[in-house]
Amino acid sequence: MSVILEVNGLTKEYKELRAVDDLSFQLSENEILGLLGPNGSGKSTTMNCILSLLKYNSGSIQIFGKEMSPSAYDIKKDIGVIFQDVAVFQELTVYKNIDYFCGLYIRDKKQRKQYIEEAIELTGLEDYKKFYPKQLSGGLLRRLNIACGIAHKPKLLFFDEPTVAVDPQSRNNILEGIEKLRDNGASVIYTTHYMEEVEQICDRIIIMDKGKIIAGGTSDSLKELTKVKEKIIVEVPKLSESKLDKLKESQKDIDIVYQHGMLTFTYKDGSDHITALIDRLRDTGIRYTRIYSERPTLNDVFLELTGKELRD
Amino acid sequence: MFLHNFRYSVQILLKNRLLVFWTLAFPLIMAFLFNMAFSKIDDTENFSAIDIAVIDNRDFQKDKIFSDALRSLGESDDPILDIKYTDDEKKAEEMLKSREVTAVVSVSKGETTVRVNGSGINETIVRYVMDEIRSDSEVIIDLGRDKIMQAVSDGENDLDYQSIFTDIAESVLSDESAVKDNSKKDISMVTIEYYTLIAMTCLYSGLLSMTLMNHHQANVSAIGKRSTVSCSKRGAMLAGTLSAAFLIQLIGLALLYIILLFIVRVDFGSDIGYIILLSAAGSFAGLTFGTAVSVLVKKSENAKLVTLLYIVMAGCFFSGMMGITMKNIIDKNVPFINYINPAAMITDGLYALYYYSSYERFFFDLASILIFSSVMILLSIRGLRRQQYDSM
Repeated sequence: MSVILEVNGLTKEYKELRAVDDLSFQLSENEILGLLGPNGSGKSTTMNCILSLLKYNSGSIQIFGKEMSPSAYDIKKDIGVIFQDVAVFQELTVYKNIDYFCGLYIRDKKQRKQYIEEAIELTGLEDYKKFYPKQLSGGLLRRLNIACGIAHKPKLLFFDEPTVAVDPQSRNNILEGIEKLRDNGASVIYTTHYMEEVEQICDRIIIMDKGKIIAGGTSDSLKELTKVKEKIIVEVPKLSESKLDKLKESQKDIDIVYQHGMLTFTYKDGSDHITALIDRLRDTGIRYTRIYSERPTLNDVFLELTGKELRD
Repeated sequence: MFLHNFRYSVQILLKNRLLVFWTLAFPLIMAFLFNMAFSKIDDTENFSAIDIAVIDNRDFQKDKIFSDALRSLGESDDPILDIKYTDDEKKAEEMLKSREVTAVVSVSKGETTVRVNGSGINETIVRYVMDEIRSDSEVIIDLGRDKIMQAVSDGENDLDYQSIFTDIAESVLSDESAVKDNSKKDISMVTIEYYTLIAMTCLYSGLLSMTLMNHHQANVSAIGKRSTVSCSKRGAMLAGTLSAAFLIQLIGLALLYIILLFIVRVDFGSDIGYIILLSAAGSFAGLTFGTAVSVLVKKSENAKLVTLLYIVMAGCFFSGMMGITMKNIIDKNVPFINYINPAAMITDGLYALYYYSSYERFFFDLASILIFSSVMILLSIRGLRRQQYDSM
């Protein structure tokens, strides 16, 4: 697979704050790369530097094998951007908004019309073509925002937190749409602080904190970095001290925490411990209402690497 | 790209209710309000000369240029003022109190004092007329002094001071005296108010350009970011956008002129072509000003809007929208403001068309407006050429 985007040693400083610190990564063709990190970790700044909206202190950015710059129109024509803030005209209908932004790239009216229809279909806005933005719900507005950024069929797409404040139905629609775009040949940079989203759609993930890459790889490979291999959560409304002590005594190599009616068992090796644990709970005489197993999450990885949670 | 942006910019502007109100509806509403307020004054048949009392003391008689000008004004065929001379200040005050006269005018050490008993159009007219006469008499004195100094330095000893001042006075009063030439045109005050309304309408075009320019700057709006990352060249986009704003502005102006000419029936005289030329130039100045505010004011979109509205309203106030006296005060005391105030340039250009038979001052104002526009364009280009930002 060829390299679509290559960032080398990117550094961006705001006076004394280093927002992006010597960042290097690549994006391959037909790949969705997730930039995951808490608010203020430098994801959006990185994106704005790549798009030549922000000046940066050092580093190089190559897109489609060419140096990116504000006047690199031949590169820009194949780029689509969906910003975190909804960027549409309140005075134009859904259709006209998409037509306006698509028209900044595609001059042929016939071709544009076809592209607009495809974008509308992909984002599920068929029933809202004549609606004005203020008549749309938050989720539909986000979909319109996306339609405006993808209608010209770009080869490289940037999504900056596109699902913030979006209902679950629209979120699924958006994520499915992004996967479809990838399947149709686009390469995607997806920035978010929602780990579930990157796990769901990203082929590769870069975890950022304080402007630096702290880990990178596939979801599975990142999870390998954590010492946690399996978590089993048991809902126990009532648990006496003596029973908890007895349990801890019999499971010395396992981290056991009882909090808010939930017993959490953290295993640092192996998997599928749930059957053995059910037996152990019965032997100890602990009655529970619910039990489930959880694989380590990216939040566990982030927690282990930085000492704080992603959502902090 | 030009046409694409032009077409959509027109739609965006016409669908924006706030902009439609300020640029299209508000001037029309103001025109009707002015008409209601001034309709009685405008009726020339009902117009009668304003009664004033003048303190005819030694100071007044010593101020020969001022007193002569005032006397000639009162003695014209169709006088604007009915002057009662008295040397008794108490009596004059009583006449003012009993509303027998609108104002009492007195002169002391070359300064004119106008005392009125209330505020209204007549009081404003008296103040304005006195300001004009004082202004003309100061010009005559200055020119006379220069001429005498020149004659002395040229070695002339036998000077007829009286004839020097008489010649200059005749020249000044015949060429520039607005009061004398237009004493029959009792609509002049009203017309000037309409001129300031036209100036305001021209400058409100800045709201149109500012709104559109905000959509083309990545550090101002999300739409600006989207426009900036597109592959369209900025020059073509901006040209289409600003042309749309200019078109809407011209439509607004045309509506205003239709209302003023055919419904309010304002008499603009025979210079309507020049008035339209100046209005178009003023609108262009408004567009460039709005663009500059959008580019240079590093605040939110609302803050930019408020900034522009305040500056335009202040400019109109200083150019005489709320009373022609303000224009005279600025002309006399802080003329510098007129050189940076586009509203003053537009109003003064229209005012010059009405008052002066020559077009020198009009073209000076027209040139000032174009220079102002050029400065705004240069300032804007500096900001607009920037495509990368330090922060967002």
